Amino acid sequence: MIHAVDTILSLALLSILFSFGSSRLPALIKVLAFQGIVVSVVPLFIVQDMSTGSIVFTLVTLAIRGIVIPGCIYLAIKKVAIQREVEPIVGYHASILAGLLLIVGATFASHHFDAPYSAVSVLLLPTAIALLGAGMFLLMARRNAIAMVLGYIMMENGIYLVGTTFSIRARHIVEFGILLDVLAGVMIMAVILQNIKQTFDDVDTARLRTLKE
Amino acid sequence: MVEIVFLIPLFTGAAAFFLPPKIGRLLLVLTGAVHLILSVMVWTARPAPIFPEYFALTPEGLLSLLVISLLFFLISIYTIAYLKASELWRETIFTGSMLLFLATMTMVTLSDHIMVMWIAIEATTLASAPLIYTHRSAASLEATWKYVLICSVGIAMALLGSVLVTVAMDVGNVDAPISFSAMAVVARQMDPVWLKAGFVFILVGYGTKMGLAPMHTWLPDAHSEAPSPASALLSGVLLNCAYLGIFKTNKIMHAAGLEGFSGPILVVFGLISITAAATFILKQTEYKRMLAYSSIENMGIIAFGTGIGGLGAYGAMICLIHHSLIKSSLFLTSGNILLGFGSRLIQQTGDLAGRMPKTFIAFFGGFAAISGFPPFGIFIGELLIVVAAFRAGHYVGAVFLLLSLCVIFAGLAHNVMKISFDPGDTPARITESASLVWPQYALLATSLVLCFWMPDTLYQTIKHAVSAIGGGF
Repeated sequence: MIHAVDTILSLALLSILFSFGSSRLPALIKVLAFQGIVVSVVPLFIVQDMSTGSIVFTLVTLAIRGIVIPGCIYLAIKKVAIQREVEPIVGYHASILAGLLLIVGATFASHHFDAPYSAVSVLLLPTAIALLGAGMFLLMARRNAIAMVLGYIMMENGIYLVGTTFSIRARHIVEFGILLDVLAGVMIMAVILQNIKQTFDDVDTARLRTLKE
Repeated sequence: MVEIVFLIPLFTGAAAFFLPPKIGRLLLVLTGAVHLILSVMVWTARPAPIFPEYFALTPEGLLSLLVISLLFFLISIYTIAYLKASELWRETIFTGSMLLFLATMTMVTLSDHIMVMWIAIEATTLASAPLIYTHRSAASLEATWKYVLICSVGIAMALLGSVLVTVAMDVGNVDAPISFSAMAVVARQMDPVWLKAGFVFILVGYGTKMGLAPMHTWLPDAHSEAPSPASALLSGVLLNCAYLGIFKTNKIMHAAGLEGFSGPILVVFGLISITAAATFILKQTEYKRMLAYSSIENMGIIAFGTGIGGLGAYGAMICLIHHSLIKSSLFLTSGNILLGFGSRLIQQTGDLAGRMPKTFIAFFGGFAAISGFPPFGIFIGELLIVVAAFRAGHYVGAVFLLLSLCVIFAGLAHNVMKISFDPGDTPARITESASLVWPQYALLATSLVLCFWMPDTLYQTIKHAVSAIGGGF
């Protein structure tokens, strides 16, 4: 039987492939915003008998992950007028193939874990693992600093998926703290990005190589 | 009312952003003094926290709190003189971030909840990022970018680890609060597979922040680009805070009877760090980077000692305390050298003994202390760790440790001799103000005194702390 959750999660998996294939930064940000929204609504479908507080919390998460964080980065790009390519180290077609392999690998890996909620959704653990791996991939396979920040956000999406659905005990105030930390982190990264652009006239991290052994 | 210890610097830090620089400097020292007084009061009175689910007084936390407090107070006095001597862009950002940094680090030492701990450690990254970017050069920008990105990704791993630890509770059907102290009680009922996975992720995550190789790459850049008072805080205190996260998780592992899993991993990471430090320290051309690699070495020694347990865990705690005192004094001294010679390159310095005699005493004393010469605490700590390693049968590890220590000593000594005695181009004396040297003297003296006379309460607290990870005599 296919649950509603699995349908939603399959969208998250698709977003990984889209993100690997997108060459322009604005497109990548849109994919990430979509993914943030998809990931945030998952608890609504999994946890039964949600209290009003939980629903409000989920909506706030959705607003931050789906709108505020991508908006922040979008503004950072606009301010410094970069509408450029993501400067891949691994090409787009190879990236998409890697994405497919990643999803298959994540599905295989998830069979080895005895996870709670596996009865509710078959795709939950594979998606979480795939998002983590995909975030790592973007961090390593793109030289553009903004694409790297987006990779970090994708990793956080994966962790959020593991966190909110597996564990019922993390209190909302704590989760909210985590969310704020991530938000502040992204904002600081956006500020640094603007400075990198001003100083180096580019956000290609290949130029950041004066400090090394 | 324990929370007040981190709330005060939080408020003064936020205020310092908007106040004129002169008041900000005053606020820095005042907050440092109040923080020290409060920490001593917390140490003696042990008040109950307002939010017992999130915060608690633990022996290891109290130790770190006292070290942070003392260090920050002395560093704040130094900072005033340093700020007068060097022109900083937007000084208010610097002082404000210093205070926020203090607040977040204090929060780390007091937090007992696994997620609050994560939030606090991530907050230290965010609060300290502006400190590294103080000089606003291309290199400092690069260092800040690396620092924020590598540490954020690392700490995301720690978040995953923390989540996996709570999953271990769910799978084991344990109903307890997710605080470190409560989890240590129910650890045996938790699912061991998920707990192990959680530990590995937490170790990699907080290990990134602690500067364990191979995740250490941000550390030399950040430490060398930050202004010296900030480097002293980063090296002396921040690394301890990250270690605290690993220590507390290791406590759960011990309570769960999984020390056979966590110990060897810590030993391996420790040895990799020591070896990496030994490899890179030999060819350093900048003295601040050299000190940064020495920090990686010491963190490696601490992880090694913690992994071995027994006498080694006690030695690791001793090393942790003394490394904070000595390394922060060395970084402050490196600030004097930078002010005097105007360059971070070892080649551009020389004849420190003749040109800046007061700084030279602090520098050479710090060098002797950090290399593990007898009257200082690192000697005792390292000796205990080596003895423990031989006792536990880790012969290969102990030999590796000793060899690397020799190489590191050679590398350090070579550069320190160059800086101190190489004939410089001009023999002119460089003026040194007293407040730029006596905080270092105070730090080194504290380390010296603690070797010969340790207050009983301190000794008991260390013993109590390490007994949870199988440490002690």
